[in-house]
Amino acid sequence: MLLWIALGLYGVGILLTLPSVASRRPALPRPALIALCSGLALHAAWLILDAKRLGRLPVTDVHSAISFFAFDLTLAFLIIYLRYRLVWLGLFMLPFVFLLALAAALQAGPSFDSPSFRGGWVAVHVAAMFLGYTGFFITFAAAAMYLLQERQLKSKHARPLYQRLPSLEVCDLLYYRSLVFGNIFLAIGLITGFVWASRTWSGSWQYDPKILATVVTWLIYLVLFSARASGTWPGRRSAYGAIFGFAAVMVTFLGVSFLSGQHGFLPTP
Amino acid sequence: MNLILVGISHRSAPVEIRERMNIHESRLSAALDDLMARDGIREALILSTCNRVDLAAAGEEGAETESPLRRFLTDYHRYDPTAHEQHLYWYRDADVVRHLFRVACSLDSMIVGEPQILGQFKQAYLTAREAGALSGTLRDVSEQALAVGRRVRRETGLGTSAVSVSYAAVELARKIFGTLRGKTIFILGAGKMSELAARHLVSSGASSILVSNRTYERARELAAAFSGTAVPFESVLTQLQRADIVISSTGSPDFIVTRAAAEHLLAERKQRPMFFVDIAVPRDIDPAVNELDNAFVYDIDDLEQVVKENLAERQREAVRAEKIVEEELERTLRRLASRELAPTIVALEQRLESIRRAEIERYRGRLGALTPEQRESVEALTRGMLNKILHGPITEMKSRAGGPEHSALVNLVRRMFGVND
Repeated sequence: MLLWIALGLYGVGILLTLPSVASRRPALPRPALIALCSGLALHAAWLILDAKRLGRLPVTDVHSAISFFAFDLTLAFLIIYLRYRLVWLGLFMLPFVFLLALAAALQAGPSFDSPSFRGGWVAVHVAAMFLGYTGFFITFAAAAMYLLQERQLKSKHARPLYQRLPSLEVCDLLYYRSLVFGNIFLAIGLITGFVWASRTWSGSWQYDPKILATVVTWLIYLVLFSARASGTWPGRRSAYGAIFGFAAVMVTFLGVSFLSGQHGFLPTP
Repeated sequence: MNLILVGISHRSAPVEIRERMNIHESRLSAALDDLMARDGIREALILSTCNRVDLAAAGEEGAETESPLRRFLTDYHRYDPTAHEQHLYWYRDADVVRHLFRVACSLDSMIVGEPQILGQFKQAYLTAREAGALSGTLRDVSEQALAVGRRVRRETGLGTSAVSVSYAAVELARKIFGTLRGKTIFILGAGKMSELAARHLVSSGASSILVSNRTYERARELAAAFSGTAVPFESVLTQLQRADIVISSTGSPDFIVTRAAAEHLLAERKQRPMFFVDIAVPRDIDPAVNELDNAFVYDIDDLEQVVKENLAERQREAVRAEKIVEEELERTLRRLASRELAPTIVALEQRLESIRRAEIERYRGRLGALTPEQRESVEALTRGMLNKILHGPITEMKSRAGGPEHSALVNLVRRMFGVND
């Protein structure tokens, strides 16, 4: 129920955000901010209640994992909004948040409990992975805004979008910072995951499809990072890279979960 | 409401007439005092800029206000009625309000949407207030005009986009680099136009300037003017990689920056973007450079195209602004009219109340001794009747507030109930 109300508030927040994206107002209208913040607060309350019930972070089945991701993204949007006033970022992030939260609310069922999911390592592992993915989603949104603005500037026409999108430099700054952020947390997530797996799992867990996919995703982002840090790739190629990278994240996050025995959000046999 | 406005602007008069009517800032409060001292004038506001002079005044109810204003013009400006009359525009009441709103929104400016006028309007308002020339209707109207001006600025794109070539270049640079603070500008070929563009960029925060010209002496001069550095023309291509923004206007018949050269520059710069403003004809920068990632080339035609599109957008936004003005005008007129109704309503109520008291007094003897309850009932009965009788006319007057036949209706009601003052 809490989740549904939070979802409703996100929806209201998105609808109230739309006019300011269309007009040139550089700030979100206050009601939109209030709706988003209270949605976030209810979402947090729901997470805390669920965590209390389970005695751990509610992130070990598909629906609660998705809802946790939606929570992270909304929080990240608000933080970035307060720092950079990027209304446009909301246009990319909020509908996605809404879909994630909707999926979570629709799927809501009792989360299963398994002794192997207890313990500090797994909590750090999961939280770090999601923070990493949140960073990469922002990288993706920054890349998309960069590509749109770049096209506007190259076309040499003062199209309506041009006035409303952030400058290339701001897109690039957001791109780079979120990329660094994502890489750091994904690394933490991977390391804690390895430590935890080597302690609890037996057999050749290294070949678990999800683990492999995650490592591949991380490698993609490492390439993106080194290309951006050394300045060898022009802006557009980096931007396309980030979009490709995020597709890999989605495959890793959702697709492979259903294939993986140990790791998919299914009870371990 | 008895508002009047006389003015002269870029639409109605050439500059040699306007400058005669201009009232200098330092003499503004004296002029306001002069205006206020004239018969029938209760409030005054003077807006005097290089493109317009507007004198607005609120007169006593029913007072004739045109001749005091005319006398002010004659005394103050040695205004010659026969020669200048054709350049003046006169507005009354609702049209005064509309005119002030449009002026504050910059809809009546020479360059529609230019942002200074709102500040000038505010200054005029503050000066008039300090001079004690604003106390009633005109004060409300001026404050409302400022609010409408802010609303138009907030809700429309009027005035957000550049309408001159050099400012369009600054705006494009902002869309590429965000802030211009700390950015380096390379002026290639010292000409008037490139100097102007550079000046705009510097005032927007760009910090270091490099100048190169075929004659080194000219480059040195211009560099000194911007406290920048002169670069010998031969070493341009090696120095160009330091520049974020290149303004080019040499007389060279060939491209100075070719696609291959630009590719090299960008690699040297580790793919940090470069913005080329090419105002030279024939062009200095190969247009193919624009195909490179992170390089943006705008020639003079491109910039003029941007300006043209911005102007077209301003036109569209102006239509939206006019709508806001009309909407606010209607609301303001209704509010002013219903507030002006207050004395009439009070007078009506007092008139009927005095009749009621007189009648009760007259019948006191015939009614005999009444119990407190009975007295209470007589009071309630008579009062109730009066309220019901008044309800119709008051509602009617209120609902017509701001409409064309409102004042005729109010006068009629006053006459019918015998409350003429």
